[in-house]
Amino acid sequence: MLDSIGDSMVDVAMVGAGQTKFGNHSLGLKGMWAEAIEKAIQSVDHGFESKDVEEAFIGSIAFGGSQLGNTAALLTEHSGMEGVSVRRVENACASSGFALRDAWMAIKSGQADVVVAGGIEKMNDLSTSRKRYWLGVSGDTEWERLAGLTFPGTYALTARRYFHEFESTHDDLVHVSVKNHMHGFENEVAHLRKQVSFEKAQSGFMVADPLTLYDCCPTSDGASAVILVADHIAHKFTDTPVWVKGSGAGSDHLALHDRPSITQLRATQSAAAKAYKTAGITAHDIDLAEVHDCFTIAEVLATEDLGFAPRGLGGRFARDGEGRRNEGRVTINASGGLKSKGHPLGATGTGQAVEIFKQLRHEVETSRQVRDAEVGLTHNVGGSGATCAVHVFGRQK
Amino acid sequence: MQIHSDGNNHFACSQYGPKWPGPDGDRITILLTLMKRLPLGTINLNGFDEHVEFIPSVPLEEIIEAGTNWTVEKDASYYLHAHQIDYIVALTDSEEEPNWPAFESLEYDSEMQRQLQDQWNLEVEGVSQGAYVSQAQHMLSTPSRLGLKAQIDEGQAVWPPRQLNATGKRLDSASKQMTESATILTWTRLSAAGAPSEFSGRAPLLGGVSTVLVQFDEGPKGVFMLADDEFETPHIGGKVYFGIRRLYGQDGMMHYGLKAVLSDS
Repeated sequence: MLDSIGDSMVDVAMVGAGQTKFGNHSLGLKGMWAEAIEKAIQSVDHGFESKDVEEAFIGSIAFGGSQLGNTAALLTEHSGMEGVSVRRVENACASSGFALRDAWMAIKSGQADVVVAGGIEKMNDLSTSRKRYWLGVSGDTEWERLAGLTFPGTYALTARRYFHEFESTHDDLVHVSVKNHMHGFENEVAHLRKQVSFEKAQSGFMVADPLTLYDCCPTSDGASAVILVADHIAHKFTDTPVWVKGSGAGSDHLALHDRPSITQLRATQSAAAKAYKTAGITAHDIDLAEVHDCFTIAEVLATEDLGFAPRGLGGRFARDGEGRRNEGRVTINASGGLKSKGHPLGATGTGQAVEIFKQLRHEVETSRQVRDAEVGLTHNVGGSGATCAVHVFGRQK
Repeated sequence: MQIHSDGNNHFACSQYGPKWPGPDGDRITILLTLMKRLPLGTINLNGFDEHVEFIPSVPLEEIIEAGTNWTVEKDASYYLHAHQIDYIVALTDSEEEPNWPAFESLEYDSEMQRQLQDQWNLEVEGVSQGAYVSQAQHMLSTPSRLGLKAQIDEGQAVWPPRQLNATGKRLDSASKQMTESATILTWTRLSAAGAPSEFSGRAPLLGGVSTVLVQFDEGPKGVFMLADDEFETPHIGGKVYFGIRRLYGQDGMMHYGLKAVLSDS
């Protein structure tokens, strides 16, 4: 069924994209969402009006305490989209990656021509203990969390096992951290805009052995949104759309211990295979990828599961600088990734799409521009790999 | 664990001595450890539950029957006793209070002990910021959680329990007893700052929380907190066994579960 949707004659164009800065926001939920939508609308070259939106998909865990239910209706009401068919999409940290996929399918299936996908999270207006409560709700509550695991713990288990199975050490993760901080340093919407030395990242405060503070992404506030339209009306909005060439999604056991292997994410492998198939490309065609580096080990696994590095060589890929902007084989996390750009859970997936939109249209800061970028990819993971959405974008259909 | 046996009378207290049951211990955990080390039998609770500090989320009788091979009966071969003041429990063949033996005491930080006790009190009595697993859900999974009972699906052991298999067939209830020994596949030690919020009161006092991902001989894998690891560091390939300990307090009740203990410790 999904393959037939992928083969649909309708092509999907991204004609607008916008986001707030990720980080600590004084704005509340409504204000952040309005800012992301406003920027997305302003980015549409030939103009766009909120009232034209037919469907909206908004990813959020509803982390904060201000509006837990019917979040999406509240947000569209405050962003000029009153009356639109809208729903909240929840798949943990992959919420807006799946919102994007739902939006893509809505157009592919012919049900709608103008669709908004976005995401939002307000994380920093909570006490530390409440924040830690929310950060753990997307793991297997009964069998992981009650065994003392939060996500730093889950990814730490994975990292130690990865080092055991392959020729890799924590230094490989340090390379990921240093690179992503370097990439994010000049990104004006990044949460942590600071370069980090190898030595500093190597000796960070131990959060979950072997992962240090420099292996962990920050908790951020933020919102992001993209505007998708069907190909037959794309020219009304822009002469240079970014085409959503492929979409794939997958899932896996919620708990790490139920998976056959904890050093690979089957959800990513499955999502990537579907996305490449619908786009008609392979991993070798990708010029830049925004991957889900909630922890540095996650980027190492992603480079393998997405096909950029052979199994077991993701650590070496990082060590050799293969993901560095304009230096390696494929630029990984030109935005700084979750590590530097930030991770406002529900806003992360479409935030990745915003970066790809701007990179492929050569609209990022000159110093951050990936040269000759034609094809980009986003990779958005929920939890420790229970859900994953992958999208492929191109300057050409 | 210190055990003293005198004929049919068996006494136990923690490795720390009669005054402290350890960071995650109490009279219930001492009792269960003692029962698992004795040949199976029948037991009369004999008013033991009047001596527990916090109400367990699963009735004591169910904890005993899920976590050990013993059965609880009124007309039983053993009677259960708890020392009025100290953390000593006894299984004897008489209903009468026994003569309590002396046990050795290890040196420990009594200030830390007091602070840990305060944290347990706060946790149980306060509004939990922790992950919520209802009492009903704790009771549903008691045989698997405390007794390591697995389901069988096409000849393979399945644990923790599942509902349907890949063909849509409902799995039978957990009945296969897994061995209480497993191999460490990986492990971590979370700092106090990285520990789940339900452990945020105790984790700083303990210097963090250690967790292991292990594989049972029967195949299934699971994650468990480590217990009694003050002087040991886990390693991949190392063996663990299991003991029932306090997990966390919530809604005025204490939740119990299995924790892994390093076989070398």
